[in-house]
Formats: sequence, structure tokens, C-alpha cells
Amino acid sequence: MVQPIIQVQGANKEFGKGKNTVAALKDVNLEIQRGEFVAVVGPSGCGKSTLLHVMAGLEQPTSGRILVDGVDVTLISERDLPKVRMQKIGFVFQAFLLIEDLTAYENVEAVLWPSVDYTKEKQEARTLEVLREVDMLERRDHFPRQMSGGEQQRIAIARALVNGPPILFCDEPTGNLDSKTGENILKIIAQLNKEKNMTVVLVTHNEELVKFAKKILHMKDGVVR
Amino acid sequence: MNFRVFFKSVKFAFRAKKRVIPFMIVYAILFIVVSDGLLSSDYLWYLLMAFIVSTFYAILISQFRRRDMSVFKCIGWGNNDVMLLVIGEVLLVTIASFLAMLQISFEIMGIIAYFSIDLGSGTLFQAVYYFVVIDAVPLFTTFFVILGLQIPGLFIAQRRAVSVPPMKALREE
Repeated sequence: MVQPIIQVQGANKEFGKGKNTVAALKDVNLEIQRGEFVAVVGPSGCGKSTLLHVMAGLEQPTSGRILVDGVDVTLISERDLPKVRMQKIGFVFQAFLLIEDLTAYENVEAVLWPSVDYTKEKQEARTLEVLREVDMLERRDHFPRQMSGGEQQRIAIARALVNGPPILFCDEPTGNLDSKTGENILKIIAQLNKEKNMTVVLVTHNEELVKFAKKILHMKDGVVR
Repeated sequence: MNFRVFFKSVKFAFRAKKRVIPFMIVYAILFIVVSDGLLSSDYLWYLLMAFIVSTFYAILISQFRRRDMSVFKCIGWGNNDVMLLVIGEVLLVTIASFLAMLQISFEIMGIIAYFSIDLGSGTLFQAVYYFVVIDAVPLFTTFFVILGLQIPGLFIAQRRAVSVPPMKALREE
């Protein structure tokens, strides 16, 4: 049997201490297969973003195990975690999170700067390739402030793809966009899933966007149903 | 050290002109004051001044770059790579200020020699010459002293850089 690319085993995540403790995740167990497009839906504050952050190794669960492509991100040291993020995970955020002082091209290429596997020429070729994929090649010398929300999100997608990760995590990627632009962004993500067999985990509270997903997980009060 | 990240961070620092240019001016004045002060008996006070300014600047960069640091961590940069953002900017400002003072000293001395200007007492040229022009030995000594005094500030900045969680950028947006 093929091993799932993401395994969450008994994950709990609590914020705060003592009486102020809030449980964001309660004994979450799930498996995501390679190439799946999974949507995690639920109301605001139900823990879906926390689940995504925990799966991506951006936050550690209070207890439980998270295996990403065979690597237990709960056991790995803080020093080695960036390598896992760089090799296995692409992340698209609601607020785009581009670096304001870097051009579109540099924002994408920046992912590869610390990598010893990419020569300067390889970095350039790969960056231009992904910018072409998201149809943003002509805007490569623009700064984020000179681009629309949809364009910034395309750059954020290019940045998530440039290192060729097998998994793409999308945290409300259309949250700051109008409905038409949002749908176009989702189409790009769905195309990546289809053509590159990329595993996509999408978090959204917008029920209309889940039509792109092949599997839907509902979350409420920190529990996946 | 990843030299590619280091050189990119220097280029990146150039873009933060609103912070970098005022600090280049501050460092240029620091070069003038400290190079004079090192020759006096109160040189320890001048060293303390250089230490405070350089430490303050390193802390300031790590504060201003917190969002960028957390974004870089989200996309897979390690702590050492993130720290190079601070080192790149500190070195850029220090070296650029040193080169500016070197150039200004060359220019003023060149003008005085070329026009055979008399540096008689009480003239404007005398005031400019004695305040701005730094001789080679004190200037180079001050450069290395200031570089050395940056190190404690960089250690503080490193602690701050390491403590920035990748999640910080997400929570703030």
C-alpha cells in the first residue's frame, strides 16, 4: 500500500496557559494521499489554519505526530525544519506575504538563494520557468506595491512552486481577492494538482471554492469530521 | 556562511534607503568624532559611543526586519541565512561610510593642494579641514575599531533573529 504523503496522528494544539487555555486542535487524525486535492472547510476560528500550520511545520502541536512525506516534523530539530520546508512544502498565504523591497522575480528566486543545489544559472532558469507558468513573466521587475492583489497572489504561487515541492498548502488564498480573481487563482492551483500531481491542501471558509477539491474535510471546534 | 545570501542581503539593504542613508550619515559623523577621540586621553568614552551606536543600529535592523525574517523562515530559510540580512546591512553602512569619509578627505586635501590654499588660522578652510579631514592612520584604525565593536550588537541581533517565529508574519497580517 502507498504511504500517505501527510499523516496526522492524534494531534492536539493548545494556546494559552491554565484557565485561559484554548484547544485549537482536538485529537485530529487524518491521512492525505499523494496527488490529492483536499479542502479543509469550516467556520472562522474552528482551527483549520492551525491544522495547516501544524502540518507545514510552521507550528508544533502540543501533542501527536505529523509525518510529511515520511518525515516526522514534530521530532525534527529547529535547525533542520527549514530544510524540510524548502524541499517538501510550498505555502500560499491569504496576505500574500511578499517582501516589499524585492521585485516579483527576486521574491520568487529568494527561496532558492540559500540552496546549494541550485547554481546561479539554474536559479534564474527555474525562476523564469515558474513565472511563465503563472503568466507573470512580464511583471517580473515590478515591486509588490506596483501589482494588484491577484498578481501578488500569482507571484506568491510562483514562489511556492519554485523549489518543486510535492505539497502545496494554501491558507485562504482567495481571502483578499474579489470573487473572479479568486476563482482564477483556484484554477491555477487546480491545474497544478492535475498536471503536476501536486498534493494540495486548501483551507477556506468559502464553500463555493471547494468545488475544485476532490476530498473535503469539515472542521468544527478543533475537530475534523 | 552562504555568500550568495550575503551578497543578496547587501543588495536588499540598498533598497531600504530611508533607513540606510541616515545611518550612513550617522556613521560618517561617528568616524569623524571617534577618529579624533582615539587620539585623546578620553578614548574609552569614544569607544563606548561607537559601541552604543553600532549596537543600537544592529538592534534597529533586527526590529525593522522582523516581518521579512519571519517570511523568509516560512519559505525555508534557516536562522543563519536570516541573520545575514542584518550582517549585510551593517557591513554596507559601515563600509560605505568609511569610503565616503576616505573620499571626502581625498577631495578636500586635493583641493587645498591644487589651489595652494593657505590654511591660516580662523579661515573657513581651516575649520573644514580640521573637522572633516581624517588622516589615513586614524581613519583606518577607526574603521577596524567600529567593525570590531559591531560584533556584540550582531550577537544581540542574532538572538532576536533566532527568536522570530515563522508564524509572526502570518499573525500580524
